[in-house]
Amino acid sequence: MNNHKTIVIDLEENEKCRTGQFNELEKSEVSSVLSVKNVSETNRIWNVRVLLADSTGGTDIEEEELIAGEIDAGSQWEHNYAVDIEAPLLVVREVFDTCSEVDTEDPHWAYAFGRANPVEIVLIVKNNSNGVIDNIIVNKTMPEELSQVMVQVSEKGSAEYDEGTKQVFWKDVQVNPGEEARLSITAVGEVEDSEMKSAGELVVSYRAEGQQRSSLDPDMTGLTEFLTGIETAETEPNCWEVTLECSNESDLMVRLDKAQIFLHPEEGGEKQLKVDEKPSFEMEPGQEWTTSFEVKSKSPPKCTQEVVYTPMRVIKKRVLGKIVKEPQPIPVYEIKYTKTFDPPEVSSFDKTPIEVNIDIENVGSASINEIVVEDHLPEDVMPPKKEHVTIWIAGEEYNGPFDLQMEPDNQDPETPHKLTFTIGGLKEIVGELEPGKSVRINYAVMAWKSRPEKEYPSPIHITANIVPPGHATEISSEEGKHEIGVVYKKRRISAKKAINKGAGAGEYSVLLVVENRGEVTVENVKVTDWIPSGFEFVSVEPPEEEPTLSQVEDGTNISWLWTRMNPGDKKKLRVNVRGEGEYERREPKVVSD
Amino acid sequence: MSVLLNPGIWQEEAVTPPDTETKVIIATNEATDALGNATEVATHSKAWILGNEATIERVKEQGGKPWLLHVLRSEEPYEIPGLRVIPYSLKRDDPETGEPMENLGLYLELGKMRVAYLGDSKVRGPFGQFEVDIVIVPIGGDGVFPIKDAVGLCIDAKPKLGIPMRWVSNDQPKKFAKYLDQFAQGVSPLVMEEDQTVETHWAAGNEFRYELS
Repeated sequence: MNNHKTIVIDLEENEKCRTGQFNELEKSEVSSVLSVKNVSETNRIWNVRVLLADSTGGTDIEEEELIAGEIDAGSQWEHNYAVDIEAPLLVVREVFDTCSEVDTEDPHWAYAFGRANPVEIVLIVKNNSNGVIDNIIVNKTMPEELSQVMVQVSEKGSAEYDEGTKQVFWKDVQVNPGEEARLSITAVGEVEDSEMKSAGELVVSYRAEGQQRSSLDPDMTGLTEFLTGIETAETEPNCWEVTLECSNESDLMVRLDKAQIFLHPEEGGEKQLKVDEKPSFEMEPGQEWTTSFEVKSKSPPKCTQEVVYTPMRVIKKRVLGKIVKEPQPIPVYEIKYTKTFDPPEVSSFDKTPIEVNIDIENVGSASINEIVVEDHLPEDVMPPKKEHVTIWIAGEEYNGPFDLQMEPDNQDPETPHKLTFTIGGLKEIVGELEPGKSVRINYAVMAWKSRPEKEYPSPIHITANIVPPGHATEISSEEGKHEIGVVYKKRRISAKKAINKGAGAGEYSVLLVVENRGEVTVENVKVTDWIPSGFEFVSVEPPEEEPTLSQVEDGTNISWLWTRMNPGDKKKLRVNVRGEGEYERREPKVVSD
Repeated sequence: MSVLLNPGIWQEEAVTPPDTETKVIIATNEATDALGNATEVATHSKAWILGNEATIERVKEQGGKPWLLHVLRSEEPYEIPGLRVIPYSLKRDDPETGEPMENLGLYLELGKMRVAYLGDSKVRGPFGQFEVDIVIVPIGGDGVFPIKDAVGLCIDAKPKLGIPMRWVSNDQPKKFAKYLDQFAQGVSPLVMEEDQTVETHWAAGNEFRYELS
């Protein structure tokens, strides 16, 4: 090929694609322009026809031949067409991982409220064509909630982050057939509310020189300034040389495709084809081409010619692409909770069952897969058994698996306990906990002789997570927020004593009346009376209230122990003694827990 | 031996049909929700009516036959073949005035079976210390035991069976059963529905068993 001008048939096919929030291809279309460019500075071309033959499949071109007509020097003729495609040459994928610190097969897709989310965005462009794709420019909009944006060094192209416009530019990327290029961006995501966020738009443009999406295979015919003529010269008497002369008068390259010379006999009759050539001769501007034959004739022979030529053309083609990815919505997972005791307070020194209700509401915009509740029970509280824990999810009683760890693993009310409830795998079991829905945990504890001078804090810590799990969002109770209240009920135990003469000499009947006049049950009530020296215990009424006797220096102590006396309970004991001397009175002693 | 306990009238309706056959009726106090139609039942079945003085006086007012009445006194056993009863003076709130009034808690021995029947009691008295096989206890609150005190009694008395009565909402017996199951080791809660019967016995002399209809 020389450097002279040739007509250009240009195929520029623009593929525009839109991908969805999760990289799925939503729309692809190709709008193209076929143009014939007359690059001549001086010569027009005319009778131009673009020949497409049977290569129009997949396009909206219905004709096999397009009439371009006349094209002035320096001008061009255009024809628009569309092409059906299934996928773009370049495949773009964005992986937005909200928790890059936790390795999982699938990326994390939601922000944890109240945490610094270690975000990693990976942009991938893959060349699915058979040619090189270059001039790839990736423009990624970074969301407002991202800070500390760091663009990692890419093996291909160069990338930088503009803080002002919050844009990442990745440019000068070239990808060979079948290969891909990646860019990793890290940032910290922090959200101030739990409304749905956006991952930011992604726009990619590229150029695939020499490639096309259609199967068009165009050619052309046309005319330009071109001289043809026949010269007849007698070389010997009655012997003629007939020469066909062609001359390219344009500044374009012209290809001579056909040259025929016909001789018309003197005596009449059908013309005779004397020269029939298909030279495919490429003629530079000003270049000539000749062909000749000899013939004997008394008079100058009569000849005509048929010449076919066309301005030479080159085909240029390219695909220009643009892919716009719809921003991925990034929800936020956040929970709130309430914890209540029913009753909220208990009587001191009593045993009272308390219903504990913990309601955890998904107040975020992401569905939750796992909830872990750490509930702390103070001392003087008997913890529940797992089989008595009831759970509701979204208003429905939940009968699926859950885990309850209790530390220490006993029901001893004298030690504090930590209960850890894990309700996980919801997606597989009953479906994730959707925004606005709640989980309720209900169980009962037994307040066990709570003391009025003590405090019974019951703090709680709750975490929630998505699937795949990342950093959990968490919430803790404020200090002193949850306390089991203790209502002080006064303890009041009265002990009265009467000494009466018995039936016989030296016999006495001692009446003891012990009564719980307080507002609360008392336990381990020990009543001790004294029998002076010289007297001995004979019997007690009722007989089942058998006392414990112990000798002391000046007589005998006689005592009873009752494990519990409710308010209003009264004990009436008649102790019969016998002896000699004066029966001295001392007041009975009462002690209790 | 058949003993009818507190054939009360609830919401102006007798709980016990007047033609109920029984040998002994015990009302733990004279209030209508305890005494109920005891006089009518006793007249029909010629049964004894047992109760404290106030209760017996109320029965007399209702036309009860004096020769079928017996006053129970606190801590004085009453015994007939197949039945031994020891009443204990406890308290309840008068359903009309709200003032405290006497309610008898009953310690019953029916053969080898020992039963604590708290009637309409608001206090437990000595019942937490008794060794009994069955505790029948009110749980409705409002003048009688609330759930928590009924559970506390069962925790301390450690019967084999804890049977609730006198509830005013359906979740009360469920809670009672849940709490017993959870906090009263060795005590089986038994919530009985209307017209259900439970049969208890000692198998081989030392194994407590019960069957609910």
